[in-house]
Amino acid sequence: MTKLLATVKKEILLLIRDKVGLSILFIMPMVLIFVMTLVQDSAFKTMNEKGIPVVFVDNDKDSLGILIEQGLKNNDLCSLSDSIDGKKATAELAQKYVGEGKFLVGIIIPKGATDAIRKNVTRLVSETLNTEDTAAKRTNTLPDSVEITILIDPVAKKSFLISVTSNLREFISEVKTKIMFQAFADQIAEVIPDKQNAPKKTYERSQIIKYNEVYASETEDKIVPNAVQHNVPAWTIFAMFFIAIPLSGSILKEKNEGSVFRLHTMPTPYLLLVNGKIIVYVMVCLIQFVLMLSVGQVFLPMLGLPALVLGNSIAGILLLTFATAFAATGYGVMVGTLATTEHQAAIMGSLSILLLSALGGIWVPSYVMPEVMRNISAWSPLNWSLEGFYKLFLRGGQVSDILPEALKLVLFFLATMTVTSIANRKKRNV
Amino acid sequence: MNNTAIIEIENLTKTFKNATEPAVNGISFSIERNEIFGLLGPNGAGKTTTISILCGLFAPSSGKVRIDGKDLFDESSAIKKIIGIVPQDIALYPTLNARENLSFYGSMYGLHGKELKDRIESWLNKLGLTDAAKRKVSTYSGGMKRRVNLIAGILHSPKLLFLDEPTVGVDVHSRNVIIEHLKSINAEGTTIIYTSHHMEEAEHFCTRVSIIDQGKILTQGTPAELISNNNGAANLEAVFLNLTKRKLRD
Repeated sequence: MTKLLATVKKEILLLIRDKVGLSILFIMPMVLIFVMTLVQDSAFKTMNEKGIPVVFVDNDKDSLGILIEQGLKNNDLCSLSDSIDGKKATAELAQKYVGEGKFLVGIIIPKGATDAIRKNVTRLVSETLNTEDTAAKRTNTLPDSVEITILIDPVAKKSFLISVTSNLREFISEVKTKIMFQAFADQIAEVIPDKQNAPKKTYERSQIIKYNEVYASETEDKIVPNAVQHNVPAWTIFAMFFIAIPLSGSILKEKNEGSVFRLHTMPTPYLLLVNGKIIVYVMVCLIQFVLMLSVGQVFLPMLGLPALVLGNSIAGILLLTFATAFAATGYGVMVGTLATTEHQAAIMGSLSILLLSALGGIWVPSYVMPEVMRNISAWSPLNWSLEGFYKLFLRGGQVSDILPEALKLVLFFLATMTVTSIANRKKRNV
Repeated sequence: MNNTAIIEIENLTKTFKNATEPAVNGISFSIERNEIFGLLGPNGAGKTTTISILCGLFAPSSGKVRIDGKDLFDESSAIKKIIGIVPQDIALYPTLNARENLSFYGSMYGLHGKELKDRIESWLNKLGLTDAAKRKVSTYSGGMKRRVNLIAGILHSPKLLFLDEPTVGVDVHSRNVIIEHLKSINAEGTTIIYTSHHMEEAEHFCTRVSIIDQGKILTQGTPAELISNNNGAANLEAVFLNLTKRKLRD
């Protein structure tokens, strides 16, 4: 026990005297969380606050064009312009400016669109009710649909555009439906002259189908997924695994400075010396975790971001944090044992952590990855940890829910220790 | 078994993986208790390999080694408790101070509490390091580092001490202090196995020497015996040069 305590004390002293190492361990990850969360949140806010730049060309000058224009002007998502450089927007100008990226989206309402809708409705009503209206018969020659053109900036991200254009389509359809209903009501009122039996125009204020979007979380708190809820656990895990670099560096420094040579001649098992490192670096991971959470709960709200919500299972958080800390520390020890120089360990450590984090869904959520990558992602310890924290922080999970992830992380730690032990024995068997 | 011998080596051979020639080639010798035994040889002669095997750093390809009556490979943990090593390279943590380094290494030998503290202070005082004990080792001169390096190997009062060029690169004052204290711990019962390229130092310091080259022992005896047995040799350096053929080594 005295030997283990002496090893722990030595590791703590080495750590606190290494200012660069300390900044890598604590300050850099905190800065990373600040930057990544603010960047993602502000990118989202910019779109929300300033709106997507949309150029609107109304060749209709009737109900459809007016209603769409009014609706989009009142929508925070859009920043609507109907003129370009002081000139009234035309289809040609809109095409040019969207193509040049000055507007993200262009909407062109064709001439006579409202009239075409009304005439189509008149025809449909007449056909349905078999009236002898000659005007209705004439509408048989009218086209079935009104073509609204949505121009798209070719540089814009596809996933973002899908979301924007589907919202626009939905809104335009709603306006078209209103106009059609209006026309239907007017037509039926003409066919049924009895005012008492005429349909009431209640459609304008009511919706037939309502959507109620609720996050399917079991948590009692209303946890809303946002940049903070996603970024704080993701970058905390990344930081915890990043200790592989200073940890492997410290192992190799001991080798290069000759301490390991002396330590191997002492009546102390090498495993005990490794255990001292593991204890200290697990403690480092726990401190990192607490610091990161405090950034999420205290400091990010000071910058106007939502506070991190921890879910309902402190036991689950503790279990998963310990499991992640052991996995990260084991990985660092393994890299330090396999590498032969500090330079090699730094490259091996940083690149492998970047790779594992990219695969693990730290940078890009794994659900947007292609199936092959998703399958690979399932093998990243960072992914196990991240999934576990999402279960706790976003899905309202309990200890039992994160047991599979915690178990995988502990098994990963044991695997790294086995590799370390084999590699050590091999290196000494010269 | 020789009861007075602390080390008995029989046909010790070590061939490293992928090497064509053995680094140590079937050497046999014994070292008596309380000796200061010099293992001398040019670069690549096999001195460090022999010492590394005796310290338990790696296993030999063949041969037998008994230390203090115990088989080195069967009872290595018991043997490690009674040996101390002062490696050629400074094996200290540069960002820790002398006390912190010595406290850690002393603890690894099972020392703790007041005993550990007293031993550290006593040795720091003996080797003139008390005033600098709070400074990081990285700020020390070469001689000061050597002295701390020495204390780390002798703090637990080993029965058997391996010294791999303990005075290399130090000034005359530090060398004298180191040699004097090594003689004093030898007088208190510690057997010393010493390697060096410094022939004059070996001649005056060692009670017996063995000259080794290409993994084989060329000669063995007291410095005086070796000098007298080599006609015309004025000192140990002349004996060494005669035996190792004055050829430059890598």
